[in-house]
Amino acid sequence: MVRITTITIGSGLGLALFAASAQAEWTVNLTPGVTDVSRSVFDLHMTIFWICVAIALVVFGVMFWSIFHHRKSRGAEAHNFHENTVVEVIWTIIPLLILVGMAVPATATLVKMYDSSEAELDVQITGFQWKWRYDYLDHNLDFFSNLSTPREQISNEADKQEHYLLEVDRHLVLPVDTKIRFLLTSNDVIHSWWVPALAVKKDAIPGFINEAWTVIDEPGIYRGQCAELCGQDHGFMPIVIEAVSRDDFQQWLADARADKQRVTAAAERTWTLDELMQQGEQVYLRACAACHLPTGEGVPGAFPALKGSAIATGEVAAHIDIVLNGKSGTAMQAFRDQLSASELAAVITYERNAWGNSLGEAVSPAQISRLLEPTTGEAEQ
Amino acid sequence: MSDKPTLWQTLLSVLSSFFGVQSERNRERDFHGGHPVHYILTGLLMAALFVIAVILLVRWALSLAGA
Ligand code: HEC
Ligand SMILES: [Cu+2]
Repeated sequence: MVRITTITIGSGLGLALFAASAQAEWTVNLTPGVTDVSRSVFDLHMTIFWICVAIALVVFGVMFWSIFHHRKSRGAEAHNFHENTVVEVIWTIIPLLILVGMAVPATATLVKMYDSSEAELDVQITGFQWKWRYDYLDHNLDFFSNLSTPREQISNEADKQEHYLLEVDRHLVLPVDTKIRFLLTSNDVIHSWWVPALAVKKDAIPGFINEAWTVIDEPGIYRGQCAELCGQDHGFMPIVIEAVSRDDFQQWLADARADKQRVTAAAERTWTLDELMQQGEQVYLRACAACHLPTGEGVPGAFPALKGSAIATGEVAAHIDIVLNGKSGTAMQAFRDQLSASELAAVITYERNAWGNSLGEAVSPAQISRLLEPTTGEAEQ
Repeated sequence: MSDKPTLWQTLLSVLSSFFGVQSERNRERDFHGGHPVHYILTGLLMAALFVIAVILLVRWALSLAGA
């Protein structure tokens, strides 16, 4: 009996030790992160973890010891009594003290987390099904950040790469050593913006603006995900932050703004059908293929085929209308604020001339620009 | 044992119900000599005081944090 018990306990301990050494490799634990707040959260987590370990050791230790020590074969006899006020008071006061002891540092951290005052940079983050939009509020710059993992990897036709489902086409670039305030909201359903390395996880709720903040200490790439189940592609709207030095950030801002102007200017010039088709295919694969499929065949019953579709081969006005304004109540969203005029023109041209659709006509970026002007920004909250 | 509990004893009994521990002796005294309405009124009063205490505690914690 005794031997069996010893062996069981011994191997149990062995397993626990093994788990501890494997932990670093598996990174099972919370990340300490790269901000002051994330380190407080980590310390809090470890403190409470060790308190739990201590409680478990004491409680189970006493329990096992008494079971073992007062076993029947030794002639132990149960002591029958009912209630003992002193013991009851003690076992109520001790947990109370432990809870208060944990509440003090926890409150200090929470208060710190909620103090978003005196931020140097404001970034509005808007959740969309299924992508994020970042708005650098005082810098006249905004863009969408889409998943960039190729479809073939998702459908197991290609090997999955290191950052599978955690990579995007445009990073959220942020300066280090700068207090940044995030203003979170959503365009459709509730999402949640979660980046473990910053210890920021905040719901993005339509019609509300939530605040969070961070000061990143180290340059680097930090990845996160949507943490509130938001529909079919909930797992396909990752977050990638690229933290850079303050100087690099200014440089990046200037470049990004220049890029934006170039895109606007591009809508003014004349595009050839070939150019539109090339650009259109890229836009289509990035923004439309998730539902309508790369082959344009759609998913019967859910997403209509565009190959041979009445709209994609019919009146151009109706085609432009559904792509710009979407169709409310369906998954077909309005793309007018999500794509630039030339991207819209290109993708519509592409749909009218791909997969056997052969209208041979091009929709020009200038034509789309004119349609975009009156209500641009209408969908913004 | 069938004496009526005093105001002080009623208060202590309500407090021990907040705490969750009461001795058998006090319980019997309360159930034999006490009147339910006294306990209910004392309970409501103490609950109100408790809420006020929590509000003050939060204010104090926030003022420590400089908010
Ligand atoms: C989230 C899924 C989704 C995405 C992404 C999407 N669509 Fe759609 N699309 C739909 C659905 C659903 C409909 C059908 C709407 C309805 O009920 O009429 C539709 C309808 C259409 C139609 C009309 C087809 C017809 O014959 O009825 C066109 C054209 C179209 N989409 C173009 C696009 C373009 C261009 C893009 C990319 C810029 C795109 N869609 C992205 C879901 C999507
Ligand atoms: Cu989401």
